[in-house]
Amino acid sequence: MSRSIRTAVLIVAGIIWLLPVYLLVINAAKSPADFTSKEAWLPNGFALFENMSDALSLSGLGDAVFSTLIYSVVSPIIAVLVGAAAGFAIVALRLKHGFAWFVVIFGGTVFPLQMVLIPLFDGYSRVGLFDTRLGMVLVYTAISVPFSAFVMRNFFSGIAHNVFEAAVVDGASTLRIFLRVYIPMAMSALVAIFILQATFVWNDLLLGLTLSQSDDVRPIVTTLSGMQSTYGGAQLSTVLAAGILVSLPTVVLFLFTQKFFAKGLALGQY
Amino acid sequence: MSRRRDSTSYQWSARGFIAPGVILVAVLLYAPLLWTTYLSFTEYNGLGDPDWVGLANYGAMFADPEFFGSLGNTLLWVAGTLIVPVGLGLGLALLTFDLKGGIWLRLPFLIPYAISGIGVGLIWSFILQSDGALDQALALVGVVDPPRWLLDAPLNTVVMILASSWQGVGVNALLFTIGLQSIPKEPLEAARLDGARGARLFGSILWPMLRPLTAVVIGLSIVASLKTFDIVQGMTKGGPGRASETLALTMYKDTFVNSDYGLGSAIAVFLTIVTLVASVLYLRQQLSKKNEI
Amino acid sequence: MKSTTRRVGLLATVSVAALALTACSGGGGGASDGATTGTLNFYTDKAAWEPDFDTLSETSSSDVDIELNTTGYSDANQYDAFIRQSFRTNKSPGLFSWHTGSSLKELVDENLVAETTDIWDKAIADGYVSEDLKKYYTIDGKQYCVPMNIAYWIMYYNKTIFDENGLEKPTTWDELMQDAATLKANGVTPFYQTSVLFTFPWFQQLVAGTDPELYNGLSTGEVKYTDPRVVDIMNVWLDQQNKGWFSDAGSTTDPAVMLKQGDMAMINFGSFFGASLDAAGMTQGTDYDFFVIPAVNSDVDPNAVAVETGPLCTAENSPQRDLGMAFAEWWMSPDAQSAWSEARGDVPFNPKATVANEALSELGTSVATDDQLVERYFEATPTPILTVALEQFGAFNANPGDPLPFLQKIQDAADAYWADQGADQK
Repeated sequence: MSRSIRTAVLIVAGIIWLLPVYLLVINAAKSPADFTSKEAWLPNGFALFENMSDALSLSGLGDAVFSTLIYSVVSPIIAVLVGAAAGFAIVALRLKHGFAWFVVIFGGTVFPLQMVLIPLFDGYSRVGLFDTRLGMVLVYTAISVPFSAFVMRNFFSGIAHNVFEAAVVDGASTLRIFLRVYIPMAMSALVAIFILQATFVWNDLLLGLTLSQSDDVRPIVTTLSGMQSTYGGAQLSTVLAAGILVSLPTVVLFLFTQKFFAKGLALGQY
Repeated sequence: MSRRRDSTSYQWSARGFIAPGVILVAVLLYAPLLWTTYLSFTEYNGLGDPDWVGLANYGAMFADPEFFGSLGNTLLWVAGTLIVPVGLGLGLALLTFDLKGGIWLRLPFLIPYAISGIGVGLIWSFILQSDGALDQALALVGVVDPPRWLLDAPLNTVVMILASSWQGVGVNALLFTIGLQSIPKEPLEAARLDGARGARLFGSILWPMLRPLTAVVIGLSIVASLKTFDIVQGMTKGGPGRASETLALTMYKDTFVNSDYGLGSAIAVFLTIVTLVASVLYLRQQLSKKNEI
Repeated sequence: MKSTTRRVGLLATVSVAALALTACSGGGGGASDGATTGTLNFYTDKAAWEPDFDTLSETSSSDVDIELNTTGYSDANQYDAFIRQSFRTNKSPGLFSWHTGSSLKELVDENLVAETTDIWDKAIADGYVSEDLKKYYTIDGKQYCVPMNIAYWIMYYNKTIFDENGLEKPTTWDELMQDAATLKANGVTPFYQTSVLFTFPWFQQLVAGTDPELYNGLSTGEVKYTDPRVVDIMNVWLDQQNKGWFSDAGSTTDPAVMLKQGDMAMINFGSFFGASLDAAGMTQGTDYDFFVIPAVNSDVDPNAVAVETGPLCTAENSPQRDLGMAFAEWWMSPDAQSAWSEARGDVPFNPKATVANEALSELGTSVATDDQLVERYFEATPTPILTVALEQFGAFNANPGDPLPFLQKIQDAADAYWADQGADQK
């Protein structure tokens, strides 16, 4: 397929893909009093910012932003490094029974998260981690590790082993090889995992709901999700506006890191 | 053989590198899971103490005909997720590969992933409900009697798979793109000079090189789709009746709605075993070669 | 070296098991610290009411020096699980919202909630709460918790549509049926329905309005869902379905918006629904109004009205037990209820409270004098039966047909539940 046809196909598909986003935005911009479900595709007024500020005041969200930011930056960074270390151990250092260990770590992702909530709550409240930022960082890190290990193991297995051997010949320690050789080579993959996990943590509802309660520990989505309910609360357009508000940071994150991937294109040769 | 000796010399170091991951996962994910497994052999309503009932919960689980409906929907999710988001993701990565402005063309597909789950569920039920945005658009082009998207099974599961694909395609494309980027340029250029392009270039160079990445994407998709919960809970709550229920929903309902922790845990354990078996079988087949290097 | 790995693995397993064991060893709840003033941690699944509780907190801190620190949960089911588990830890709440019916009985059976008999005796003596309400909070002759809210399940209607079609509030069931037929003939769908969660109101209305004893019998297990009388009632419902009297079950639009845009003319909902209609931009009296649904069977006199009431409870082993009880006592007072009515715009249960909303106040008075109350289906039905019933009514709404298979599935769940209860009694 020629480049221009490819571009055209992608543009058309991209527009179709953005239609739900269009619906999200125009309906979030309708004032609750004017909202109807009959004219879904037609914009009607522009109350987006009013709706967003309603959402903010309804949920008292200010405190949540800071802690959510901590969780969605710190946990994925740790998880990416821990996952990369596991991948390095298995692939480059050829850990014995590496595959079995890999399955152990990866196994952490196979069961539904809802299933560990109750025991986690119980355990957390006994050891004093309940409703603490440390507790939240720990659990977010733990659930991000399997994905990270999975991707990094595969990424490292694409690197020829003589890279490692050459570094050994130069007299480098394993830690040094890991930090100075493998990590830099894997930058684009590491960043990709980081973004995906940061987005996941930012949007997490389940864990936040179960393991925290005070306003300065609870993550942002947890705070927002209580807005719409049968027993009163916000109207759909306000909730949609809240959804956009919460999603903005992650959309921006994607925008910025896209540039990084472009650089990764040049770096990704080995 | 010398290689074997090489590798043993780093075993201690290797254990040090893998330990943090194993410990985190063991303490925060496996320990709670053990507790859940224990509960699956008990009758427990969340209050008082669990009563040991042996395999009774597993018996009850397999005796319920609705359980198999739920299992069927779950398998439909697995199949659907492999075909749609993985297939489209690969297609998208290939289309944008080496294309000027490719990162910008990929962006529309990534934005949905960044939108919070609440937003996605809300907007798609807004689109798919009776007389919703989709039906309104269809009416414009003269379709007066559209299908009942969310009311009839298995159509409701199919459209929900499409809705979840809307969110997932971009991520898969991103992962495939990382794979494409990591393909060495030399063989690619050589093949191009030989006149390989299109399907032949894909078959001879790109696909073999992408295989490890494909293994990752498919592996993750299987695991994620077996656990499908959020979008169904957000759009149909498994209904009408239990027509669109998945195993994760059945488990949730038994545990959190009916406070039948034992039965809920039994379903969770079953689901975990299925997922684990599927992924180990799959990974062995896909990755065993890599493992032997 | 292999053995070292094993040992590490073993160590991990042991520590994991130890963690699991600590998790199951006995409850950590200490005795109350005795304080009756200060900041009370309050948990609720009515997350949307958090701002209202914050408003109320100002009144409570000036009146009795108790400040509320409210935590709202958006997922009612996870909230229940959280509360259940919390009794086993030192986090058991000094104040939390709960449900009446089988859920409350479960907690009381395990001695987990603080008894409020004294508070009730005093409140009834002072005329702060009606005797009627007491039975929902009474288990084995003692009272537990205090009422957080009260709602009557009534019919809201779009007044503009009624006016356009020349209709008035119906005063008999026949009039209501006639109005529905008129509306349908004029191209307006009469009633709201959905296929998820709130699938029960019309069943509740039809059964309670036909025979309140039959309705109560269903919740105690004395009447089977497959009873011919229940089947007959379901066939009435089916007949109405076939006439196209209900809105599309596949709509997920907010029912308040649907009523506003005329997707249907009427909706059977709790009296808290007015707040949603107000928020959707409608005005009570001009755009919408409500009426008590007349009894299906005119022999039912007084008319049966479904009532929903949610308790505020205190955990027996909470460190904040005394603080929670002090708050509960204050909560019964006219001052507290007037402030709550002001904050929420709801019907207060205390007849001596000032009611912010005139129409709701009248509703409260008229129901108290003219009607008999039946417990809302949601609380009256034990949870495992309810879960299946909600699913089956939803399936019925989506694909109306022979009612018997739907009823049979509910009865199967009921059989299993009552057999289990019987076994536990022995």
